[in-house]
Amino acid sequence: MISTLRTPPLAMRLIIYAIVWLVALSMLAPFAWTVLTSLKTDAEATRAPTLATLLPDVPQWGNYVRAMREAELDRFYFNSVLVALITTLLAVTHNALAGYAFAKLRFAGRRLLFGLVLCTMMLPVTVSFVFAYLICQWFGYVNNYQALIVPFLASGFGIFYMRQVVATVPDSLLEAARIDGMGSFEIFWSIVRPAAWPGITALAIFSFINSWNSFFWPLIVVDSPRYKTLPMAIADLSAGLYVQSWPVQTAAATILVLPPILLFFFTQRAFVRGITFTGLKEG
Amino acid sequence: MTLRRSINAYAYIAFPVAILTVFSLAPTVLGFALSFFQWDGGGAPVFVGLRNFQALLDDHRFGPALINTLVYVIASVPPAVLIAFLLAVAVHAKWFRGKALVRTLLFMPTIVSIVAIGFVWRWVLDDQTGLLNWVLSPVYSILGVTDRPDWLNEGRWPMVWVIIISVWRNIGFCLVLYLAALASVDDALYEAAELDGAGRWSCVRHVTWPQVAPMTVFLIVTGVISALQVFDIVFVMSGRQVGPNVSVLNYEIYNQFKGGQLGYAAAIGVVIFIITALATAGQLGLSARRQRAGSTRTAAAKVVERVHA
Repeated sequence: MISTLRTPPLAMRLIIYAIVWLVALSMLAPFAWTVLTSLKTDAEATRAPTLATLLPDVPQWGNYVRAMREAELDRFYFNSVLVALITTLLAVTHNALAGYAFAKLRFAGRRLLFGLVLCTMMLPVTVSFVFAYLICQWFGYVNNYQALIVPFLASGFGIFYMRQVVATVPDSLLEAARIDGMGSFEIFWSIVRPAAWPGITALAIFSFINSWNSFFWPLIVVDSPRYKTLPMAIADLSAGLYVQSWPVQTAAATILVLPPILLFFFTQRAFVRGITFTGLKEG
Repeated sequence: MTLRRSINAYAYIAFPVAILTVFSLAPTVLGFALSFFQWDGGGAPVFVGLRNFQALLDDHRFGPALINTLVYVIASVPPAVLIAFLLAVAVHAKWFRGKALVRTLLFMPTIVSIVAIGFVWRWVLDDQTGLLNWVLSPVYSILGVTDRPDWLNEGRWPMVWVIIISVWRNIGFCLVLYLAALASVDDALYEAAELDGAGRWSCVRHVTWPQVAPMTVFLIVTGVISALQVFDIVFVMSGRQVGPNVSVLNYEIYNQFKGGQLGYAAAIGVVIFIITALATAGQLGLSARRQRAGSTRTAAAKVVERVHA
């Protein structure tokens, strides 16, 4: 059901269309330019930008191979994929199980512990990161994959989100299963998990994109090139390190932006539902 | 029985709670304590009382960073929210075609790495080979400008562009949330307003805007909280050479941290936290007062509505 105002006259509608599309295209243009430049030769890319030189004569797919080899992006790409996948898989599992416990299981100290979880959502990262770094150092995580993964294996936001999602599963379903003799984990696996699946997917997409784009924390805990992630490598590249070729640099940037865009494109509905859900709950 | 049940439940939450305690709660508590010490990470921390905070006052980088951060917050959050609201009203209208596509396009900068965004914009703004100066070159020749502006390095320009790019980037996120809020606005309110002879613009101002007020408060409050911690965009746009003209508080923390001044870094973090807490409390208080005033007005409107019916 759409609640709306009366339809304005045609001239007005055209002006509104023009403004909205201008803004929308301003969002697309930089990325379109990046992809187009990544397929040009070095000479084409340095020509003055006109409509005639917008498209590459012959798409130079080799730029992607060069980006992977010359800037050693293959290594950083591997790191980013590994870190994002492991973080997402484990974090969503832990958050879903904790959310289930907070929503449906009775235990002593439940309110206190949930308050604690909510509290972590409001803590200032600018104060906590120094000791988070030192604790990682103490565990021997610094300059290693663990530093990029372990601190994110659970999150206050994720647990809160999953609790809200699981809470919508009717208690009667769970009670019936309990009478049938199912244990709490069996109930989670065969009843809660399928029912909460859209919420779980939305959280997984959030976690992946967050981990993939994360920049400040990796900058703090990793300076060895072995464990750098893609955003750090592209930032080095953008500051003029490794290679000077524009097409190779833009190919690298394309490799960085493509996974979130594709993921968003194919899971848009789950994604939008996820954001609006959290937005509305807190607002 | 209850004990067994409790132990069973603890198995689900033990690990997540441990992670949050070790990497979030404990570091925050320790971080606040650290702001009263001088420490480089090795050896014993030296208690210095409030001296870290006093030192901030004499720090010639702190003042500009504080001002830049506040300017960034004020100039970037409200415009993004307001533009998103107006676009959302247009996109939400029944006659608007291509809703899904517009939503996707507007959302792109939000999900894309800030590093890639910095990369693209640095190319647009480069003084010699950049797109913007190329587009503006006819204007320069008409005006007789010989020195093309160096958008990325000159005076106030870097900060202006950081703000513009932030607004550009955050519109999509606000728009998606506004679209959800608009879907739940009651149609009858528009009909009632139109019966009273209100025009379209007046409907938007006096019906739509107050109806989505909770979402506006949410967007402004969360927007201000994250804007006070801005770091990535400044770091990336400056190509790692962050001068005092664009420096922000969180960059100064990073700088002090890298320089081994952990206590001093923590003190700046505490300053950000205090500003955040004050700003949030202030905004929530203001919106609560306005809501109380507003609810009487809405109640009155409802009475009028009933009389009309």
